[in-house]
Amino acid sequence: MKPKKNKSSKYFQRQQNRLGYTFFMPWLIGFLVFTLFPFIYTVYLSFHKVNLNVLGWTTVFNGIDNYVTAFLRNPDFTPALIQFFLTELIYVPTILIISFILAILLNGKFKFRTTFRVIYFLPVIVISGSVMNQLMNSGNVQIGNVERIFVYQIIESYSPQLADVIAFLFSNFALVLWFTGIPIVLFLSGLQKINTNLYEAAQIDGATNWQILWKITMPIIRPIVLVAAVFTVVSLGMFPINPVYGMIQNAIFDTVGGLGVASSYAWIYSLTILILIAMLYFVLKDPSKDEYVVDERKEQAEKELKRIKRMRNQEKWKNLRLKKAGDKHGS
Amino acid sequence: MEVKVKGMSWKETLRGKLMGHHMTDGWIYRSAVYVLLIAIAYVFLYPLLRMLSMTFMSTADLINPEIDWVPQNWSIMNLRVAWRVMDMPATIFNSLWFTGTLALAQTFVSAMTGFAFARYQFKFKNFWFMMILLSFVIPVPLVLIPRWMMFTTVQNLTGLKLIGTIIPQLLMTILGQGVYSAILILIFYNFFKMIPVSLDEAARIDGATSWQVFFHIIIKMSVPTIATVFLFSFVWNYNESYITSTFVRSAMKLMPLQLALFDSIFERMSAGVSGAPGGQFRINESFKMAATLITMTPMMIMYVFVQKQFVEGIEKTGITGE
Repeated sequence: MKPKKNKSSKYFQRQQNRLGYTFFMPWLIGFLVFTLFPFIYTVYLSFHKVNLNVLGWTTVFNGIDNYVTAFLRNPDFTPALIQFFLTELIYVPTILIISFILAILLNGKFKFRTTFRVIYFLPVIVISGSVMNQLMNSGNVQIGNVERIFVYQIIESYSPQLADVIAFLFSNFALVLWFTGIPIVLFLSGLQKINTNLYEAAQIDGATNWQILWKITMPIIRPIVLVAAVFTVVSLGMFPINPVYGMIQNAIFDTVGGLGVASSYAWIYSLTILILIAMLYFVLKDPSKDEYVVDERKEQAEKELKRIKRMRNQEKWKNLRLKKAGDKHGS
Repeated sequence: MEVKVKGMSWKETLRGKLMGHHMTDGWIYRSAVYVLLIAIAYVFLYPLLRMLSMTFMSTADLINPEIDWVPQNWSIMNLRVAWRVMDMPATIFNSLWFTGTLALAQTFVSAMTGFAFARYQFKFKNFWFMMILLSFVIPVPLVLIPRWMMFTTVQNLTGLKLIGTIIPQLLMTILGQGVYSAILILIFYNFFKMIPVSLDEAARIDGATSWQVFFHIIIKMSVPTIATVFLFSFVWNYNESYITSTFVRSAMKLMPLQLALFDSIFERMSAGVSGAPGGQFRINESFKMAATLITMTPMMIMYVFVQKQFVEGIEKTGITGE
């Protein structure tokens, strides 16, 4: 029953607002002060020269000078940004595919299932910026040397670029796996929610496991892929595997360039991440929810309905005619 | 039909055992799964195993190319050096109360926010919900610079010491802007939605205010969820070193920070050692690995006892459902 628009419902709404915002207030204040304002202020800062003196922070407008510094004067920033972008492009699909395969394997019933789950989740507990740095510096994340493998040399002789990508991926392979911890859990809980009747029905109709994977599991799991992908992009950005992150921090405490340059770095970097997430969204979003697809399907359904009605009518008339003819014949 | 099954030849029986009726219940598939899972688990643990093995190597073992995994002369010298350099018992206590305070604050504010969204239909609710999700995506460096400026400004104006203490992070955390706050809010939101509203209503009829409902009914009913959120918050705050190293810098001895600064601290300390023979007090990988092991240990111990909460905790978020 819908509440009527009368005095009591208005009172009710006002009470809901009051109570809701009371509980929500800390987060809201924090968001406005520590996230929304900084978000906008960083844009402002990136066009200014920022100095700290006895009066506090002073800002002087200097146009796009900071961006010029970022892209042209600092020889390290652009390569680091490109490397970061490539890292994300290569690592995110790899992490998603590996974690999906692991989730499917872990979804079965077998002994030591919990043990494996515990092992695969362990990195989430111990991973931190400094731990990762130490492990990477000590060379302990590299398993074997991929450049010695025969197949790699064949690939290298055909396309050095592809070989570089593979070498890059393998040099930190253990760390790539460390980022699968949470995506595995996400995929697993998604897989467990799928109704097993669907699989049985498909098997009865003669579908192979491969077909079931692509026609049933994949479409159902698709929204989770998006969530896992966004999570991976965000968390990959927060570790020293990402060279830009440390660069921004160094720029904050750098007295020459100051916070203006740091802001322009941060803004360029964030834009890169937001572009990545937007890309993921458009690649992975559910196409069945697109408006034009829905409209198309509605039209198709209506056409089908009309066709069925017409056929039914025709059949009805046909039967009637036959019946009449039969009656005549019979009499 | 029965007869046919009994008369199955040994070849068919073997085939059934190996390949299974479906692809997924034969021996071949099963052993393939085990091999794959063990291989991947090995890669997962490889850095940690190497770390362990290097921690217990003596200097001679470290440079001996014949020794790969198992040290010849076991030594705990590395651990002792790392323990000293990281100023251990003090650092771990610092880390625990620092992290514990932040985690408590974060759990509390996440619960409040989750409650607001689960129970009340306030204006612009959907908009704010989107903002919570968006706040997860906004990269930290983007908001870090103005935050840093704000706190230094307040520090300069009032003379209160803020940078180098817990206060900036505590303030951000208690206002809901901690590490991965959005996920924790989602966990609470989904759990509170499952608690029937009739419980609230019953209490309201008996004259409870909404704060009393929140503290006496909702909080008491969701102790396992609170534990899960607290654990996640604890782990993430413990391992967070980016924001911490900006606001605390080297003013406070915290585990991940000490590890990050290990090289420089080691140099400073070993410079004071007089008459040390040349090679003995040079920094080597074993010291660093020992320090890494020490940094990880508190979380590992915790994980051993409460791994179930962690593994199942993420499923509770419900971010997989919507």
